[in-house]
Amino acid sequence: MTTVDPGRSPARLVVGVDIGNSTTEACLASIGPDGSITYLATDLTRTTGVKGTPDNTAGALTAVRGALERAGRRVGEVHTVLLNEATPVISGLAMETITETIITESTMIGHNPATPGGEGLGVGTTVPVGALPEQAPGQPVVCVVPAGADFDDVAAAVNAAVRRGVDVVAAVLAGDDAVLVTNRLDRPIPVVDEVAAVERVPLGMLAAVEVAAPGRTIRTLSNSYGLATVFELDPAQTRQVSPVARALTGNRSAVVVRTPTGDVTDRRIPVGELVLRGAGKTLRVDVDAGAEAIMDTVARVQPLDDAHGEPGTHVGGMLAQVRDTMADVMDVAGQPDVPVSEIAIRDVLAVDTFVPAEVRGGLAGEVALENAVALAAMVRTSRSRMQLVADLVSEQLGAAAEIGGVEGEMAVGGALTTPGVDRPVAVLDLGGGSTDAALLTREGECTAVHVAGAGELVTKLIDSELALDDRETAESVKRFPLAKVESFFHVRHEDGTVQFSDQPLPPHVFARVVVLTPDGPAPVPTWHGLDHVRRVRREAKRRVFVVNALRALRQVAPGANLRALDFVVLLGGSALDFEIPDLIADALAPHGVVCGTGNVLGTEGPRNAVASGLVRAHAAVLAEGARCPAS
Amino acid sequence: MTTATTPERTLTLREIGPAGRGTRPDEVVIAVSPAFAGHFTKTIVDVPHAEVLRQVLAGIEEQGVTARVIQVFDTADLAAISHGGAKLSGSGIAVGILSRGTTMIHQKDLPRLSNLELFPQSPLLDPAVFRMIGSNAAQYAKGESPQPVPTRNDQMARPRWQAKAALLHLKEFECIQAGRPAVEVEPVFGRVGSRRLG
Repeated sequence: MTTVDPGRSPARLVVGVDIGNSTTEACLASIGPDGSITYLATDLTRTTGVKGTPDNTAGALTAVRGALERAGRRVGEVHTVLLNEATPVISGLAMETITETIITESTMIGHNPATPGGEGLGVGTTVPVGALPEQAPGQPVVCVVPAGADFDDVAAAVNAAVRRGVDVVAAVLAGDDAVLVTNRLDRPIPVVDEVAAVERVPLGMLAAVEVAAPGRTIRTLSNSYGLATVFELDPAQTRQVSPVARALTGNRSAVVVRTPTGDVTDRRIPVGELVLRGAGKTLRVDVDAGAEAIMDTVARVQPLDDAHGEPGTHVGGMLAQVRDTMADVMDVAGQPDVPVSEIAIRDVLAVDTFVPAEVRGGLAGEVALENAVALAAMVRTSRSRMQLVADLVSEQLGAAAEIGGVEGEMAVGGALTTPGVDRPVAVLDLGGGSTDAALLTREGECTAVHVAGAGELVTKLIDSELALDDRETAESVKRFPLAKVESFFHVRHEDGTVQFSDQPLPPHVFARVVVLTPDGPAPVPTWHGLDHVRRVRREAKRRVFVVNALRALRQVAPGANLRALDFVVLLGGSALDFEIPDLIADALAPHGVVCGTGNVLGTEGPRNAVASGLVRAHAAVLAEGARCPAS
Repeated sequence: MTTATTPERTLTLREIGPAGRGTRPDEVVIAVSPAFAGHFTKTIVDVPHAEVLRQVLAGIEEQGVTARVIQVFDTADLAAISHGGAKLSGSGIAVGILSRGTTMIHQKDLPRLSNLELFPQSPLLDPAVFRMIGSNAAQYAKGESPQPVPTRNDQMARPRWQAKAALLHLKEFECIQAGRPAVEVEPVFGRVGSRRLG
């Protein structure tokens, strides 16, 4: 009469297992013959191997055994193991610089040394310090000092020249000596130092040196008309020097030398066109137009069928690299390789970013913040190998193993166990590679979308914008709050509160900006202040997660109208972040949406949604079977 | 970096009184060992003590921080010299220097045997490094986060210089005057000859 033998086993023990990109989660429950669910235990472990490959089996078994142990059950009691159908997307990242600054003929020094000397503006002809004794009095001169000169000797030489009547109005030094020299001068002048390639400063040319007071920025050389006044330029020449003025904005010190054809250019690097195909059209967009233009174009070709880069350009290389990586991931031993041409890019997220790069032609290792575009691309795969994992799990545990429903639907099911949530509900799964959204309507219809770009992209943006060159450090900057170690016994948190400690902090964090990891403070190797690091971190999260949350929710919302959504539940590892949920909630607030981090089963937080969703779906099927038994 | 060694510079440390605790938060104390600029006049690799002290002072001055020099007589242990200096420093930061050149940046709240930066291989310290040490000490005093001075390492330094270092240490040890308190000194730089700037 029924599918369950009531005499032997009134309640079945089932385990839902969700294999994600980074974690594998299990949910153990017993299901009564009427479909009632009793949740017994959950567990979480690191995913072994790449998601969707047979390597996952070990992690899945660990999670199942962990949950059984917590509930005090034996492996033999398990009736069915339920596995998720892996999200059929993998994602890749690439970044390309789209501007570069070039200084020709050594016209400009704008490297902002930490300690320039003196204050004010000096305009004169460039003369090497060795030639000062032969210099005739009268003409204003700017003294150029080579590497290796001692500060006492330089100061003595300048003082001697000034006493003879030579009008030394400023100095440019190779070494870090500006304050030392200025302190020893009879008549103070502005001094710019740490100009490593000082030997390339053109001599016998008119030059202007400006140093601002501490805490201020230069006013004359960063103003086009200030430059025109200093060098007596005509309107055409003024137009030509305006990039120089712009490049010097925000500096505390600068040197500008007037040479016949010297110039500073801010060049856009042609990186090529992105070709987007979808919705029956093919649109092209220049990548150097920036992220906004790219995303506008992407929105016009939804749903995207494929994206290509113009062959032979940087963007062509970027997308080819993404495709190659994905072909490698999808390769299966014993099966023919996936042809790269068959891999279709189904979503692209472009983000404007900047990369600190050394200026070409600079004399002092000047660094300019060059614009760059980061692209996250997502590919759909048809070759999920969850069945292989299911077979292996079944063999090891001696229980049946089934592949449950689509991940997005399962996540919605799990999210519904959050207290205070009701249909229609949308979930946002903030993962590592992709951001997924799913909507369950009041009628029980479910739609799901995946968009490219998530936690990995945030890490990459933080890494390049802070020039850390270390993924691990960037990851911890992303995940933990910052503080400044002000003494061995106190730190100042990023919100300004001070915390004292009884034990002295380790010497390697003294006076540094640190991330407060669970293992204690770890220094961030940057000369930027805490505020800058914090701004970079929050901006990276906003540009990826807030943009993607809105983008993904618009795709599932009825009529692309966010107001039609009532409840939005945030799930996934990045929903555990200390500020991403707040950033998204702030962005959704104007649309009248209830948004918050999920609390699956009322205890699990944003974790375990898919695993418990699998159990719920299975129970629903059993209950259905019990009500209308197959004849 | 200004690295020209000027051997004609001389250094005498003129005693100006007992070493007291500083009150200015913008000062770094430089604590030198008993035989510094006295029994010895140069480091293990012949960098004149005049140049060592001048460069450390210059590094501190370039950062806009003031410096006070003290000489310690009752120990030749670098950790004790540096930590003692740090406890007298208004900012809590001190640079300790031994006659053979070994140098350390210390902070008053640290355990004596810890340090902020240690430069243990005296044969590898040249005037440019001493300048950076002074500069970093001053930046710590200002509450900034300097990148640690790159420490060089030479596997051959040990076999090549160990015997000389041991002898120099013994000599320094003999200059210890037990029970004599540290004194504040004024460095007086002299010049034997004069040199035209090239």
